[in-house]
Amino acid sequence: MISERTFIKISIAFSYILLAIGGLFGLLQLVSRTPGAPKLVDEPQYYAVLTGHGVFIAILWTAFFILGLAVFVISSELGKPFRRSLLALAAVLAIIGSVVAAYPIVGGLLIGQPTMGAVLYTFYPPLLAHPAFYIGLALVIIGSWIFAAAVFDVFIRWRKENKGAAIPLGTFGVLATLIIWLEATPGLAIEVIYDLIPMSLFGKRVDVLLDRTLFWYFGHPLVYFWLVPAITAWYAVLPRILNTELYSPKAAKLAFVIFILASTPVGLHHQFVDPGLSISFKMLHTVLTYAVALGSFLTAFNIVMTLANAGALRGGDGLFGWIAKLPWRDPVFSGMVLAFILLGVGGFGGMVNASLNLNNVVHNTTWVVGHFHTTVGGAVTLTFIALSYLLLPVMFGRSIASMGMARIQPYLWFIGMMIFSIAYHIAGIYGAPRRTYDSSYGGLAPSIWDPLLFIGMIGGIVFWISGVLFISNVTLTPLIGKRVAQLDGASLLRNGNGYEKATIYDRIGIWVLIAIVLIVIAYSLPLFEILSRGLSPVLCITPEGLKPFG
Amino acid sequence: MVDRREKVWLVSVLIVLVILLGSIAYALRTGYGVASEAIVLPPEKAPGLFQPGVKDLGGGRYQVDIIAYQWGFRPSKVELYNPKEVVIRIYSIDVIHGFQIVGTNVNAMVLPGYITTIVWKPHQSVNGTMLAICNEYCGIAHSAMYMEIVIRR
Repeated sequence: MISERTFIKISIAFSYILLAIGGLFGLLQLVSRTPGAPKLVDEPQYYAVLTGHGVFIAILWTAFFILGLAVFVISSELGKPFRRSLLALAAVLAIIGSVVAAYPIVGGLLIGQPTMGAVLYTFYPPLLAHPAFYIGLALVIIGSWIFAAAVFDVFIRWRKENKGAAIPLGTFGVLATLIIWLEATPGLAIEVIYDLIPMSLFGKRVDVLLDRTLFWYFGHPLVYFWLVPAITAWYAVLPRILNTELYSPKAAKLAFVIFILASTPVGLHHQFVDPGLSISFKMLHTVLTYAVALGSFLTAFNIVMTLANAGALRGGDGLFGWIAKLPWRDPVFSGMVLAFILLGVGGFGGMVNASLNLNNVVHNTTWVVGHFHTTVGGAVTLTFIALSYLLLPVMFGRSIASMGMARIQPYLWFIGMMIFSIAYHIAGIYGAPRRTYDSSYGGLAPSIWDPLLFIGMIGGIVFWISGVLFISNVTLTPLIGKRVAQLDGASLLRNGNGYEKATIYDRIGIWVLIAIVLIVIAYSLPLFEILSRGLSPVLCITPEGLKPFG
Repeated sequence: MVDRREKVWLVSVLIVLVILLGSIAYALRTGYGVASEAIVLPPEKAPGLFQPGVKDLGGGRYQVDIIAYQWGFRPSKVELYNPKEVVIRIYSIDVIHGFQIVGTNVNAMVLPGYITTIVWKPHQSVNGTMLAICNEYCGIAHSAMYMEIVIRR
């Protein structure tokens, strides 16, 4: 049985370990794939390292940080204790699951069998990994469901005692995050438990189109599972550190509602160039993706207005005068706002990805890599970094080990990420492929790829160094940071006393019902198309081209 | 409730969305050649039913049937004379592959068990050796998987 505080410490510390390993893997694969740079790993190792980079950072670092953040927000805002048995069970399952899933990747590299876990973080069948990879993922999913149960248990108890009260904004964001997760994970669970585990253990034949559809049913809402907590932090924390109010709390809740409604029925925009899915269904998912983008556009306006008002209160005048008045030397502030700017870049790129026709130009190119580094690597990760500078003193009663390092670190991250992403976006427009060890193609590759990929690598190294500064700082803080009075989380998040009156936005049940209807409409049609055509299951094959069950 | 700046922002957002939707409508009207239809072909039946090669259908129309495998395309080089419309059909005999002709809009997934069909209308300016690559990770020699499409005018 563990307390909320212990749970937060464990999950956030574990997330930093994952970020550190995943970051090192990121550097190894980035340098190795860049033309003209040294090959640090060979081709089979490259794909294992790339798998580790994706799994440890995109899936696990984000998830574990979010678990810790969610407990922090819920216990600070609602002031109700968690059921400790549920928290403990969730933590144990998620951590054991992560270690089991990491075994084929890291263990495989260490014992010289990198192909044990070289299926990348999308693990499309029929490429085969060691069964531990899929079993570990299943354990993480089950752990996450128990975690969600722990949060909803607290929320339901709070609601019984506070009938008619509006849900505090941070809690609203956490609930939206978990609802999105619960909407999305059944797709992944069915794929992993029904197809991939039997495939890896007994050689079950699987239909590739069906499994890709199940994966992306999960894969796009996963993006919002990362993003909504970051946006929650902008809404709930940014105004507090600026000593001001959010421009429009109602628009913030509306944005969360849009994310609950529309983040799941959009997955086909990852399958625009898949055979076997009709153009009309792809178009439906395009339009729904535009709808979910509205949530991000609303957020953009709300945050800029909040910043502008805060700057004006500090004496900034004119169209841009407010910008100079903001506390740019505070890494909590600068990290979150630079993350917000990166989401702007990523948001417009995302509109291109979601457009049926434009996607054709960029599908599976480095454009996509540039895109999701501005979003999950920029907006999400940089926000979590900024939050760390706020949370660590609260959790450990120590001030940040080096404020000097903390001050420059978010800027270094931002600059590196911009260089990397812009170069990768442009290279993608010229057709440079993602996920490949060598892009020379016997000398036939366009000559413009090489310099762009090289510039991208320089950007990557810059934000990797920034990551090293961050990891060393958060490692040293609990050890050598100056002791400070332990703040209580409630004073960081709560605005005054008591809760406001509930509005239509707080009737979460209705939004979930509408979301389910949208999901059923958007997915019953393509699933009917796939199943009525008749499935075409195939045998699994290892990354070396072997058929262990053939 | 909505102030002027908010209106300006909302209208700008809607304009962006309308432009994007308009571009999709334009693409669909002018023959957007994305893979959407699939023909189911179980791997056991493929050897007799799917033969790689080029068929000249006359009048600048070609049908190019390609097999994708770990790690290459068969045929690894095709030559087309003054092509106006090329129907490319690709079939994977093992894992998922991608097919992208660099510098064009031809970009599709190739899923084992299904035939991918793409209709490509090469622009008049397309000339010489085109590089076609596998753009989906398919195993340890993924980077060696590419073919040449030579266009002669």
